[in-house]
Amino acid sequence: MVVENPVFQAYCGAEPPNFQNESELECAKILDFYGIPWQYEPRTFVLAEDEDGRVLEAFTPDFFLPEQDLYLEVTVMKQSLVTRKNRKLRKLRERYPDVKIKLFYKRDLQRLAERYNLDLAS
Amino acid sequence: MATSLPVNADERVGPVYLTAAEIAARVAELGAEIARDYAELEPVLVGLLKGSFVFLADLSRAMQIVHAVDFVELAGYGGADTGGHNHVRLLKDLDADIADRHVVVVDDVLDTGLTLNYLFRAFRLRRPASLAAATLLDRPYRRLVDDLPVRYVGFTVPDEFFVGYGFDLDERFRNLPDLHLRAAATAS
Repeated sequence: MVVENPVFQAYCGAEPPNFQNESELECAKILDFYGIPWQYEPRTFVLAEDEDGRVLEAFTPDFFLPEQDLYLEVTVMKQSLVTRKNRKLRKLRERYPDVKIKLFYKRDLQRLAERYNLDLAS
Repeated sequence: MATSLPVNADERVGPVYLTAAEIAARVAELGAEIARDYAELEPVLVGLLKGSFVFLADLSRAMQIVHAVDFVELAGYGGADTGGHNHVRLLKDLDADIADRHVVVVDDVLDTGLTLNYLFRAFRLRRPASLAAATLLDRPYRRLVDDLPVRYVGFTVPDEFFVGYGFDLDERFRNLPDLHLRAAATAS
């Protein structure tokens, strides 16, 4: 699924972002709304290799916030997906302890809307 | 005069998470702490409307030093409802000039830090003597912007929604003296 993009002001990547779902687009809009510079999928982290160095598992976080030096992975409320992503984040933190990464939950978006009594499309 | 509040008027108003007495005790501590830190500095408390107005009113009265009070209101993120692509801005700006003043922004709840980050960037352009923040509730584990000068925290809370003590439910129940959990109906 490819999501059509609006014009972003705070995007600082080289190529136009190619969002995979509406949640990623919504997160990009929020970052843009608050003027937080962001990049989309700028780096892939290898999580596991075989003895010949072939990549067995890799992880590409959705966003990177250069001012915060922080990677963001967007997740929805479905618990099975959250669990799977949490497992990947744990592996990433073990292998790259200096990399900061957080999950951005749909609940975070809900809270931003709640604060202003907005009725967001989910 | 005792007031009977219609808590049961909405089933989404859940059990009490913090009683009015627990909140009052903590707010008194915060007020004393801020008064100690800002003695002789005549700070400006800046409330972020609307959620912080109850907390700010209590905090202000707990500060036994001379200080000013002001308010700002931000246009929040509108998502798909507003076309989803505008920018945060002040709906109500400060009434007073904060140049060379010591400013304490008073917030009801801090999670991602995106709102406060914007406000601090806007305020820094006005060259205050100092900027700090006081928040009643904090969810530090949800923070996206970490380098915020949040100096005063009332309570670190779980990943729940709240109502009462300034927190609303469809613009109602801000006046509840206790802080209640919100039922999961709109939070699932």
